[in-house]
Amino acid sequence: MEMNTAYAPKTLEEALQIRHDTHARPLAGGTDLMVQYRRGEGAAPRFPWPVLLLCGVDEMRGISRDGKGNVTIGALEISADIARSELVPWHVRQAASRMGAISLRNQATIGGNIGNSSPKGDLPATLILLDAEVELASIRGTRRMLVDDFIIAAKKNHLEDDELITKVIIPPHDFTYVWYRKIGTRRANAISKLSLSAALTLDKEGTIIDFRASSGAAGPKVERSRKVEEMLVGKRIDRIDEVLPAFLDAYDGVISPHAMPEYRRRVTRNMLSYFLKEAGKRPAGKVIEETC
Amino acid sequence: MLSTIEFTLNGKKVGVTADPMKRLLDVLRGDFGLTGTKEGCGEGECGACSVLKDGLLVTSCLVPIGACGGADIVTIEGLSETARGKCLAEAFADGGAVQCGFCIPGMVMAANYLLMHNPHPTEEEIRLGISGNLCRCTGYDLIVESIKLASQRGEGLWK
Amino acid sequence: MTKEISDPVRRYDAIDKCTGKQKYLGDMHFPGALYARMVRSTIARGKILAIHLPEMPQGYDFVSYKDIPGKNELWMIQKDWKCFAEHDVRYVGETIGLLCGPDKEMLDDLLSQVKIDYEEETPAITIEEGLACKGGAFVGKDNLFCEMTTRSGEDIDKVFARADRVFEETYRTGFQEHVNLEPQSCCATMEQGRYVVYASSQCPFYIRKSIAGLLNLKPEDIDVRQTMTGGAFGAKEHFPDVLAGPCLVACHKLQKPVELVFDRKEETAFTVKRHPSRTTIKTALDKQGNILGMDIDVVYNVGGYLSCSFVVLQRGVFHATGCYRIPATRIHGRGVATNTFPSDAFRGFGAPQTLFAIERHMCHLADMLGVEPLEFKRRYLIRQGDMTNTEGHINERVMLPEMIRQITEASDYERKAREYKPSCGRGIGLSLYNHGGAFTGNGEQVLIKAKCDLHKMADGRVEILCGQTEMGQGFHTAARKIAAHTLGIPFEKIVFENIDTDRVQDSGPTAASRSTQIAGRLIQQAAEQMKPRYDKEEDFTVHVEYQHPEGFPWDQEHWKGDAYIAYGWGAAVVEVEVDPLTYEVKTVGIWVSHDVGHPIDRLILRGQANGGVMQSLGYAAMEVMENKGGKFRQKSLADYIIPCSMDFPMMQTFLVDNPYPYGPYGAKGAGELVFNGADAAFTEAVSKAIGKPICEIPIPPETIEGLMHAQHD
Repeated sequence: MEMNTAYAPKTLEEALQIRHDTHARPLAGGTDLMVQYRRGEGAAPRFPWPVLLLCGVDEMRGISRDGKGNVTIGALEISADIARSELVPWHVRQAASRMGAISLRNQATIGGNIGNSSPKGDLPATLILLDAEVELASIRGTRRMLVDDFIIAAKKNHLEDDELITKVIIPPHDFTYVWYRKIGTRRANAISKLSLSAALTLDKEGTIIDFRASSGAAGPKVERSRKVEEMLVGKRIDRIDEVLPAFLDAYDGVISPHAMPEYRRRVTRNMLSYFLKEAGKRPAGKVIEETC
Repeated sequence: MLSTIEFTLNGKKVGVTADPMKRLLDVLRGDFGLTGTKEGCGEGECGACSVLKDGLLVTSCLVPIGACGGADIVTIEGLSETARGKCLAEAFADGGAVQCGFCIPGMVMAANYLLMHNPHPTEEEIRLGISGNLCRCTGYDLIVESIKLASQRGEGLWK
Repeated sequence: MTKEISDPVRRYDAIDKCTGKQKYLGDMHFPGALYARMVRSTIARGKILAIHLPEMPQGYDFVSYKDIPGKNELWMIQKDWKCFAEHDVRYVGETIGLLCGPDKEMLDDLLSQVKIDYEEETPAITIEEGLACKGGAFVGKDNLFCEMTTRSGEDIDKVFARADRVFEETYRTGFQEHVNLEPQSCCATMEQGRYVVYASSQCPFYIRKSIAGLLNLKPEDIDVRQTMTGGAFGAKEHFPDVLAGPCLVACHKLQKPVELVFDRKEETAFTVKRHPSRTTIKTALDKQGNILGMDIDVVYNVGGYLSCSFVVLQRGVFHATGCYRIPATRIHGRGVATNTFPSDAFRGFGAPQTLFAIERHMCHLADMLGVEPLEFKRRYLIRQGDMTNTEGHINERVMLPEMIRQITEASDYERKAREYKPSCGRGIGLSLYNHGGAFTGNGEQVLIKAKCDLHKMADGRVEILCGQTEMGQGFHTAARKIAAHTLGIPFEKIVFENIDTDRVQDSGPTAASRSTQIAGRLIQQAAEQMKPRYDKEEDFTVHVEYQHPEGFPWDQEHWKGDAYIAYGWGAAVVEVEVDPLTYEVKTVGIWVSHDVGHPIDRLILRGQANGGVMQSLGYAAMEVMENKGGKFRQKSLADYIIPCSMDFPMMQTFLVDNPYPYGPYGAKGAGELVFNGADAAFTEAVSKAIGKPICEIPIPPETIEGLMHAQHD
């Protein structure tokens, strides 16, 4: 009978060497992989490749902010700690605090959530919104890449087979209004059916200088269209009604035509429209509250 | 390959030689006979296999034993020996929180974890605290009230 | 014990369940046991051409129909469901064989290597496809497993002929999975030369009867021992036979204990479900809008085998006019064969589907007539002495007016119903429901013949020896209370072990909300007989048998008479808010009232009400289970979504006291009643909130979005 092969390195250097030598695949919190490769009642999961158990690599933990405002989150940081950390940007904390249930948030890591590259992943939707980057390390060295570029499609990404995701770096932002909403399968302990992360920055005259939005669980990957976002740049928020219809039509194209497109498109339209209209009415108060 | 993993289980140093990807759940139930930890779904959805790992509530069906080297694991059997576990069991029994009982060990583990961080939770906080533990019998109201009862009776037990 | 019986006691099993000491079957150790994995059909309909097994290592074996020395049939109500498929398969998941061996991981390896060649045939999946005999009929000539018609009052065709107008609508409900948290589990062993079957089961005597013929044995030749049952809701009424049969055959062949425990994926994909339904109600109205009669067509999707579906259908038909007095009715019921996993018992047992239909229908009739729904329903509330749709009568006082008062006052229903305008995003709905207690008609007398022993031991303890199981509903606590209260001895002195068919009397299945009402009464009677002898004699047993009360005629052939001697009654109000952006529904209030006669334990009752109502709300709000091509699309608890603690608010529960003369201390059945109506109240609330009629559940947000925007698209 076959058995799994697994390595449990204690240092990053050791982990990278094993990764290089064996191409063992990383397992951080295990919340996705232990389900994906599970078998029957009472049986161990069976992995078709050697497993690199990362939980002992303490170098891959930690949350910090540098002098320029960049926030770095170690790949092994769990959602519960990310949700709690005041250093972490609002959108990411929101997503982390709504991921699964308490026990899942105590296990699931940010590196795993990115590496799993599911369009339903809670954290990538906000990281992509914020132009966050991943740092990828191997014994050859390190490289950085936008999370948006790193994730190609469902379960597909640019991780080379000797590389590990070691950290996530989020650049600073100063948004005037922010929005995050996850529509889950139930009110807690839920998988995302759809999410919308959005942010809007105005100048003193009320002209939009930055708008961005990302949609989770709406296609083969987290969707963000800079082209559609740019339609709003330079427009005045008090005259948002003039551009809204064309913008919403264009945003429809961001949502995949597969799997409940009517629901996902309409709800996304509703949320975007509400966010932008409310922003026009309110003082720069940052968070547009949910309506329900 | 077989690995030998040493860890602390309910306060005692133990070791097990196993497939490193074997689930902590199966090690607890099979190797140590601690069957209070239940397999309800095997996917981390129902919470019936909840244990404490290094002070964190986790679902043991998603934890490979290879990731438990040096860890401190507490199961329902361990918790039940403590004043906190006894207080919770008494409150659950008096409050009518228990029906079929299959979710209950995990529910007690989650309730304890909640009270560890928030000794006097509101109803809403209790509901959030047990939202990872599915129960099909009770509709949760009597569990929520029983946790409230434990938090009142257990003054000082959780800080 | 002099206090009032309803005063709560601590459940006898609570502490062991809280500390993890309580063992369920999967926690037990059977020395020398082999584990088993089921080999199942992967197609919905067709012929098995060949089974290719991998090379079996030493100690591993494959068990199939060829190993059955007796008849390859499970005797549920009829004997159509096979233990192992032979040549034809009727649904995805049908048992083909059992792989047995000492190691679960090796079994999983072997299972993944089993290859089966099929000749596939076109399956019928939906009710419509079944009725149309898609792919050719596979049951009789018309795919109907069962069919029946009831009539009451004036000839319905004449009533419709003189009607001023007719209102007709069709209502649908979906599959529902029980999600008993403890999975199905069974172990067949031999002890002292006898077959002993351990099972997580509601009805150990059913198992014995069902599987004995596989080995040419008599039911008494098998000892079935129930293990602590971690939730059932009907899933462990007949379905445990489907595990016990193969395990018994394997045990016979391999001469070793064989243990089979399902995992959640198997529970979700390969166990019985609640029957999907289609109910069409046609109502004849006079000029003033009064109801003259109803012509109702009920179709249940039975799946591949009959199991208890005809009885489920009967209950559906008998509950199809709900809590209303309808002067003339005709109700046509059909159970249609399809190539889905067989539908089976589930809390409510056919009543929830038709009760949903009649409740929606009454609301829509009210809307059409411009009357507030509750006001309209009040006009037709059934009362004591009124005729039922089987031309029987309501024998008890019906306390619905008082129950309605309780929940409408607590919820401020009348003001809210007036003030919340249609499609304002807020809605409040009210539903009324009932549930006939115990077996239909004279079934308790003719079919069940319940018996019970009460044994006084020398040390003063008293053991209850009947077949009713504890599965979380609290019966073993309630039964102890009844015995202790009657005998006037402490609760702790009553013994009631998990059921062992060798040791106890057969008091019938733990189903049909009959345990308290029927067996509880027997226990009370036995205790009354024991009481005068209790202090005088050391060790003795009292035996009692069920006596059907006189004066409740029933004609099973023509469906005429008192289908039930007594009903439980319920009323629910649910208030919701629909999120205008996302169409998510937030339930903001739940108020329910139940008449269960006189409760044996108020706290147990509250737990039952709370759990049953939530299961019903899940049924309506979120529990989507679809079947495509014979396979359920929902595969686990990650995509079959049941309520968590955050989904619904604290419920306000009421009881009314209405003692039932033939129940213990006035108690009636409660377990199913509490499931039967909150779904309709929720649906009405959502319907009002969005200003659209809703005729089908479940209604997840994407369905609500579709309803709200249907005409715009």
